[in-house]
Amino acid sequence: MAEAIAANPGRAAQVARSPLKRRRSPLQRKAFPYLLVAPAVIYLLGITFYPGLYAIYQSLFRVKFNSWTFIGLDNYSKLLGDNEFWASLWNTFLMGSGALLIEFVIALTLAAFAYRDPFIRSWRILFLLPMLFMPSAVSFLWKLAFNDGRVVSDILMRIGFIERPLDFLGDVWLARLSLIITDVWQWTPFLFVIFVAALQGQDAEIEEAARLDGARWSQIFWNISLPMLKPIIAVALVLRGIDIVTMFTSIFIITGGTPGGATETMSYFIYRTGFKRFDFGYASAASVLLLALTVIIAQTFVKRFFRSGRD
Amino acid sequence: MARRRKSGKAGSLALRYLVLGSWALFCVVPIIWFLTIGLRPRTEIVLPQPLYLPTFTLDAWNMIWSSWPMGSYLRNSLIAIFGSVVIDLLLAIPAAYSLARYKYRFREDIGFYILSTRMMAPAVVAIPIFFLFKTFGLLDSVWALMLIYAAMNLSLVTWIVRSYMLDIPPEIEDAARTDGASDLRILVAIIVPMCLPGIITAGVIAVIFAINEFLFTLLIASTQNAYTLSVALANFTGGSDGIIYNAIAMVAFIAFVPVLLLVVAIQKHLSRGLTMGAVKG
Repeated sequence: MAEAIAANPGRAAQVARSPLKRRRSPLQRKAFPYLLVAPAVIYLLGITFYPGLYAIYQSLFRVKFNSWTFIGLDNYSKLLGDNEFWASLWNTFLMGSGALLIEFVIALTLAAFAYRDPFIRSWRILFLLPMLFMPSAVSFLWKLAFNDGRVVSDILMRIGFIERPLDFLGDVWLARLSLIITDVWQWTPFLFVIFVAALQGQDAEIEEAARLDGARWSQIFWNISLPMLKPIIAVALVLRGIDIVTMFTSIFIITGGTPGGATETMSYFIYRTGFKRFDFGYASAASVLLLALTVIIAQTFVKRFFRSGRD
Repeated sequence: MARRRKSGKAGSLALRYLVLGSWALFCVVPIIWFLTIGLRPRTEIVLPQPLYLPTFTLDAWNMIWSSWPMGSYLRNSLIAIFGSVVIDLLLAIPAAYSLARYKYRFREDIGFYILSTRMMAPAVVAIPIFFLFKTFGLLDSVWALMLIYAAMNLSLVTWIVRSYMLDIPPEIEDAARTDGASDLRILVAIIVPMCLPGIITAGVIAVIFAINEFLFTLLIASTQNAYTLSVALANFTGGSDGIIYNAIAMVAFIAFVPVLLLVVAIQKHLSRGLTMGAVKG
């Protein structure tokens, strides 16, 4: 309602009548909200919009150190025929959707079990712990556990699951799995915390009524709680999904894209092309395509779930 | 009948604690193990057969202070992170107020633009930003990191603060306005104090994301002038000795403790902060 002040003539008149109120022209009053939001927008334009334009511009050149040669769309046509690029796209999708799906299922299960538990505060802190470490540190933790320290293999052998140590980072699927487990371990709590809060926030009386009617706990969860949770699940998955698409740190530290590029994500592809092969024009072309992809995702999914103000 | 129901209940309770307990173990055991890595000598880490009962030593603690400029890493992290949060709050509070309280053309688009910068893959802007900072001579400086972290978290801080501002009943502002307070005064004297929990939550979450930041820092920092804890870890290698895991684990826990304290302090607001205000915990 308050945001309607500028548009509400009655209220505006009341404000104008107030003796202490400085008189401001209608133009000033109209400009005020823009002035408030402008510094933030300008800052963001400088650090996201300008780089975006720069990337588009640079993608039209072959950049060798300080010499730029205009080559039109050559970088793009080369990119579309580059198997490494398509592989990085595929790996991003594969590991990203795998990690997201596992995190979602685990977080929802845990939240369903935990949200009415008397010890929920303790569970929440325990489950949160992995998220509170720096991703670079977590990557080293799992690199040591899977590969350098051979701990996971050793434990699996002691249990009797396997007979010989597994080469976690040497095998295509095991390497991908290692990265997924690293992500799941660290980021399942992100979804868990959100789901628990949403479940706790729902009206307990509806559940109580269903329980008195003889509904079982699982029925209540599936038929009452879960449908109410849908919008929040969507928001949480979109936010986590965006972070997963940009996955970089764990790949940089744990695998470096090996074996044979099987764990190289788009972010790592851009990094390697730009800062290892110094092919900046080509890397920029890949950046532009990734940008287009994220804009599409943002437009289709995100716009639906977030609104700026009250209507 | 009654007994069956009771045993069913006990069964489901057992299942519940089995599930929750297993996940709790999966979370905690690697952390405890990593702590023992930080407290064991380097010779007992990378072995053909892992060692579960290592010798206790503070080698790693001594080593990080004597062999690396830990003081610089800590100082860089602190300056870049807190500076970025200050920038964020100065820019985000007015922006959030504008989005939450006024109705104007393009409001939705501006709000969505701010939000969408959160979705930009760091790798997309990494190269241009690298050249931008190179042009301005800002490579390998904490100021560059501060600017980047601020940009990275600005959308998040704006949206969280906005969400808390929406909770404040408009009548309070109307009353102040009839008393003759200017819009800016209302923002500073009434709105900011009233949404302080939101501002703190946003600040804490921005701090955590800034501590975690890796890609930009990796590109911008190249010496101890700008290395933060997060990226300094990746340089804890001793040439032929390989990765120095006990030092890494030690630094991981040094960064973990303040984050844990901050998160415990805002526990009630965490879910709301992580969803940028979309979920009210």
